[in-house]
Amino acid sequence: MKRRFIRAVLASVAAAAALLSPAGPARAQELQLTGPLKGAPAVRHLRLYRKGRLEISPSASFTLLDEYRRTILAGAQLNYAITDWLAIGAWGAAGVVSSATKLTTEIDQTAPRDIRTATEVNHSASPYGGQASFSDQTAKINYIVAPQLTFIPFRGKLAIFNKIFVDSDLYLAAGAAFVGIKERASCGGTKELSCYEPQSFDLASETKIAPTFGVGFRFYPAGFWSLGVEYRAVPFSWNRGGFDTRGSGPNGNYPDGQINSQDDTFKFNQLVTVSIGFYFPTAPKLTD
Amino acid sequence: MKQARRWLLLAAAIVLVPQAAHAQKKPTKGGNTGAATAAPIGGSPAPADADVDPSATPATPPAAGDQTTAAPGAPATPGAPAAGELAAPGGEAAGTPDICQITPDAPQCQVAKEINLNTEAKKSIRAEVYAVQQQYVIKAHRLEIMPYFAFTLNDQFVSHDAPGLALNYYITQVLAVGLNGNWYGGLNSNSGFDFEVRRSAIIEVPLNDYQAGGDLNFTYVPMYGKFAGFGDFIFNYDAYIEGGVGLIRTKPIPVIDPDNRKFDWNNLVNFDVGIGFRIFFNRWLAAIIEVRDIMFFDKIENYQVATGATTLPLNSPQNPLNPATWYDPNTHFTNDVQLQVGLSFFLPTSFDYRLPK
Repeated sequence: MKRRFIRAVLASVAAAAALLSPAGPARAQELQLTGPLKGAPAVRHLRLYRKGRLEISPSASFTLLDEYRRTILAGAQLNYAITDWLAIGAWGAAGVVSSATKLTTEIDQTAPRDIRTATEVNHSASPYGGQASFSDQTAKINYIVAPQLTFIPFRGKLAIFNKIFVDSDLYLAAGAAFVGIKERASCGGTKELSCYEPQSFDLASETKIAPTFGVGFRFYPAGFWSLGVEYRAVPFSWNRGGFDTRGSGPNGNYPDGQINSQDDTFKFNQLVTVSIGFYFPTAPKLTD
Repeated sequence: MKQARRWLLLAAAIVLVPQAAHAQKKPTKGGNTGAATAAPIGGSPAPADADVDPSATPATPPAAGDQTTAAPGAPATPGAPAAGELAAPGGEAAGTPDICQITPDAPQCQVAKEINLNTEAKKSIRAEVYAVQQQYVIKAHRLEIMPYFAFTLNDQFVSHDAPGLALNYYITQVLAVGLNGNWYGGLNSNSGFDFEVRRSAIIEVPLNDYQAGGDLNFTYVPMYGKFAGFGDFIFNYDAYIEGGVGLIRTKPIPVIDPDNRKFDWNNLVNFDVGIGFRIFFNRWLAAIIEVRDIMFFDKIENYQVATGATTLPLNSPQNPLNPATWYDPNTHFTNDVQLQVGLSFFLPTSFDYRLPK
């Protein structure tokens, strides 16, 4: 009798404890699939557009937000994808079109050519009559070569007008850019031309080394080719207008009668690139 | 021997049993393929074809190849016709008793009697199949509230940054009408580039301040998609284009003759076009990035300064205090290109899908 009573009490206490004890926090559990999906990959027959393929993408690049001169560059991107999310390669392009901005035209037409601007604006007589064009002294981009790594973290699908469906990916590229530019040559220093001389407004070639990075979309209408659009930045300092703006006074923020590297100003140079990519081997591999 | 015969008969019967179990009723001439069809068990939705628009068919759509169907809201009953059975009125599977003869008032018998297959077959249905039946976010008939900040992209001399707010109502999944407004006041700022160009080239560049602007816009969403990130998470996005018309208030900053010119705000008609990208965090919240070009014919300061005395009559064209001499006689086409970054809230925050998945 006593034993039965103790058993009953213990059972009641255990039941009460079980009922009254606070529920523990829910914890995520791995789904224990036991059906045909057990162990199945998230995507079957995934097209590996990049992995193990060589990409050659002819491209056209357009500079953005230019102050004095716009440039269109023709080039190509060459990439080999080690995995589907990482590629190594290079982008290179050469300036094929260079045109003056409205500001350049206005300066050309309205800036006085006298002692006040003698070191700033080209005042040499043009062989075609009148003054030399201001646009001739503005800097231009000749070429860009950028070895780079391309990181492809995102891939997916895109529906256009609910009719056209294309695979796509979004990538980030980063590397070092070797930028060949032409800008106004140094003058006014020791053994250099005076900056008043008309010849001092001539441009000289120079190579800038700068970081470059970009983000782009690539669309795959077929396995063999793709369309791409990319935004890229190549920030570096250069003297775009050919002006003497720095070198003397407080913080060196006033003209010093010389053109040199102190007159370079930082510019977050930006480009938009469109490209057509071709891939070798031509057929992408499929996952299981 | 008698025992042996009995065992042989039993063995033959056992061999025949599985064949009888596999036997299916042959399709009737009507083309019945014998696919499953019945009211849903337990009240769950019937297995509908993705190409059938429920809103276009009053009945719960049948599965592909079905010829028989249940009436709307047919209750689930264990006695409903099994797979392969034709649920004709008083329908009876071979060799089984007809439940409708036993209990004619049973719900499934009432339902079955109301169905006329010929009539049902003649009903028009929307057989259009959408490639994506259920987009991640249904925008139709929802209000989008979009606070953002706009950064000037193309003015090297004066930046016109502005906070803004857009309200868009989606008439359909892809088309919206809305309003947006920007407030530039107090945020216009001259750049160092402006100073250096003026100093170096000794030129004056007319500059303008903006105060506010607003537009009536139409938005079209032609593209949507999704990305898998690192094979770990998925985010959905869409891209839109927009265009509209509105007003912008601008005034010149007096730089040619700042001593005599004091400009007031001008209301100018503007047109705008833009392209944007929206990344959804969930079904009611997204981040947006948009490039918008606000185009208008701006009034700028006159390069020419009246050279007469200020004591001349105010309406004299020689008086530099005459406001009529302050503005350039020609308006100038201006593009104010902005980068807008912001958030997008959709209300109501939840929605029901119309089409099956």
